[in-house]
Amino acid sequence: MRRYHAFDPPEYVDWSPDPETMLEFSRAIERDPERARRIADLTAQRRLEIYAGLLRFRLHDIALKRWVRQGVISKAWLGTGEEATTIGPVHALERGGPNGDVVGPMIRNAGACHEMGMPVADMLRGYLATEDSPNRGRDLHVGGRRYGIVTPISMVGALAAVIAGYGLGFRKLGTKRLALTWVGDGATKAGEVHEAFNLAATQRLPVIFIIQNNQVALGTRLEEHHAADGFAELGRLYGATGAPFDGNNVLDAYAATHWAAEICRAGEGPVFLAAETFRMSGHATHDEKEARELFSEEEFASWGRRDPIGCYGAWLVNGRLNLETGAQCEPGAATGVNSAALEEVEARVTEEVESAAAEALAGRARMPRPESAVEGVYGTWPESGRQEKDRF
Amino acid sequence: MALIAYREALNQALREEMRRDPDVFLMGEEVGAYQGAYKISQGLLEEFGEWRVRDVPIAELGFTGLGVGAAMVGLRPVIEFMTWSFALLAIDGIVNAAAKMRYMSGGQFKIPITFRGPSGAANQLAATHSQALEAWYAHVPGLKVVAPATARDAKGLLKTAIRDDDPVVFLEGEILYATKDEVPEDDEFLLPLGVAEVKRPGKDVTVVAHSRPLHTALRAAETLEREDGISVEVIDPRTLRPMDVDSILDSVRRTNRCVIVEEGWPVCGIGAQIVDDIQREAFDFLDAPIARVTGADAPQPYARNLEQLAFPQAEYVVRAVRQVCYRG
Ligand SMILES: Cc1ncc(C[n+]2csc(CCOP(=O)(O)OP(=O)(O)O)c2C)c(N)n1
Ligand SMILES: [Mg+2]
Repeated sequence: MRRYHAFDPPEYVDWSPDPETMLEFSRAIERDPERARRIADLTAQRRLEIYAGLLRFRLHDIALKRWVRQGVISKAWLGTGEEATTIGPVHALERGGPNGDVVGPMIRNAGACHEMGMPVADMLRGYLATEDSPNRGRDLHVGGRRYGIVTPISMVGALAAVIAGYGLGFRKLGTKRLALTWVGDGATKAGEVHEAFNLAATQRLPVIFIIQNNQVALGTRLEEHHAADGFAELGRLYGATGAPFDGNNVLDAYAATHWAAEICRAGEGPVFLAAETFRMSGHATHDEKEARELFSEEEFASWGRRDPIGCYGAWLVNGRLNLETGAQCEPGAATGVNSAALEEVEARVTEEVESAAAEALAGRARMPRPESAVEGVYGTWPESGRQEKDRF
Repeated sequence: MALIAYREALNQALREEMRRDPDVFLMGEEVGAYQGAYKISQGLLEEFGEWRVRDVPIAELGFTGLGVGAAMVGLRPVIEFMTWSFALLAIDGIVNAAAKMRYMSGGQFKIPITFRGPSGAANQLAATHSQALEAWYAHVPGLKVVAPATARDAKGLLKTAIRDDDPVVFLEGEILYATKDEVPEDDEFLLPLGVAEVKRPGKDVTVVAHSRPLHTALRAAETLEREDGISVEVIDPRTLRPMDVDSILDSVRRTNRCVIVEEGWPVCGIGAQIVDDIQREAFDFLDAPIARVTGADAPQPYARNLEQLAFPQAEYVVRAVRQVCYRG
């Protein structure tokens, strides 16, 4: 896979699979027979789609970084290094648009949008705030109702409760749909999150909460804001089901969520999944330097070896499945074809994201009409009610 | 005097007050090791150590309560909200715990706490991060509300707020952090709460504005002077509760016309209160209905062009002044 010297974290630039890390990767997906079975069931095509999803996320972030460098936008929030925690779970959902499952992405989960079906160009338009952006330039976080994506609320923790509300709605309506959101390690400290967790647990709502522990909240290391030992016990503490997964292993993320979804659809939700991962970039593009100072070189190096895309790619290449024919093979017997298959995916996704960026940028001049600033605040407004006028 | 930025002025105020009184401490998200999300607390952790510059988790309601408790023990907490929009999660602690404790306890407890942080629209931070909610706090008995527009006022008022024995809501203009002003270096430079200042003397119209809109009003005043020969008096209440109504009335009695500018939403805004004060006490002095210029009656949009339109622009102020002068 191509690396981007100007944009990748230094650890990714000359990345090659580290044997020990790869062993760890394989062990993680074989540890639990339940999960191993779900992974084994993934067809070659679905495996490649997951790979495409990871790449799309990384390239989307790189497109944003490029825009920041070029001064097109002032700042961007990225998911570099954490892609698997978003992409694996989304691929385990029923993605049926308005009648499928629903996700509530936070800043590190932009990749959920494109994997739920939103075109990358629309996501980028969101940043540009053009008239044709999914939310008409009203906010910088984009959602898409028709794809099952809740428009994010930037107060961390607010979405946890709203997503629990989706669960309540789905349950009351008698559907088998479920709702999923990611809660950052830092966000777990917000009171609203606790209320949401407990409300979901006591009402057995079909909700998956993924605690995305990237070891940091803005400029605060995990141990500064969290005195307990990780998050794996969270489900039990709320009287619900829970399990950890390896947040840099997209297959483990997929399998854990697939399992959790079954539990939710059986009326036994919610499920708390605790993902361990690492933020390879800054909180946003403005504080990369501070972020690099927050953790040691060794920590970056160790997590850098675990690049979720590199690891998954290497696993696929040397795996037991011929990605072209879909046939089983001896491990390592199809490296040639498999590499070619991945390259083909990469070429396709690179072209997709590049043209999405070009397409979004081409509409840059189409800013929302001035009057639209005050439109759409309400669904209805009585004639008798006064309205601000003459502003524009 | 030294020409320093608003950000630096706040930093000086905190540093001086922390040096002066060991009971003063700062608590909030990212105030320590990260030196503040907006770098207001730069260098304070190093000088005062982690018990006086406390980093806390993302728990606005919780650390507000912690601050109230610490104030009841006798300390003087300064609570930083990363932005005032995040204080929405702490509003119960501010309104129910901080504002009411003195009263509810029959005066047994004083709550010398300062809540501070950036407020208002900055650059494209959109609906949930750009709110100017001073009217909400000014509504609450038990809170004092301060919103300085200049580095000098920021320093003098923050120092006073910290020494005050009541809860003070101190709203800094996020967009003003880099603006510079001559600021006294004196450790005892204190500006009293509840005292307005005439920022530009004039005789034809009074424009009342606080925080960022003060600068908008001053720009508008220049345009009006130049293009219309209208002499605008610009007055900054600086403290919104208690409000120095007398100074505003005094100005209006001289100019007989008034425009009030604020970044917040129009309905039940700060300006609405000022209009009420003026019409009750200076009705006979008015030569025209009072005009208000406010933020648009909508959530703050993200698109740059909409964002610009949504908060008070100098041209809106110019238009309003011409209107109350029956010109143009
Ligand atoms: C209630 C609230 N307080 C503060 C913030 C400012 N803020 C934005 S993201 C963030 C850190 C969040 O950390 P975490 O939940 O671990 O997510 P991460 O950024 O690591 O993905 C903070 C403090 C916010 N958005 N909402
Ligand atoms: Mg985090």
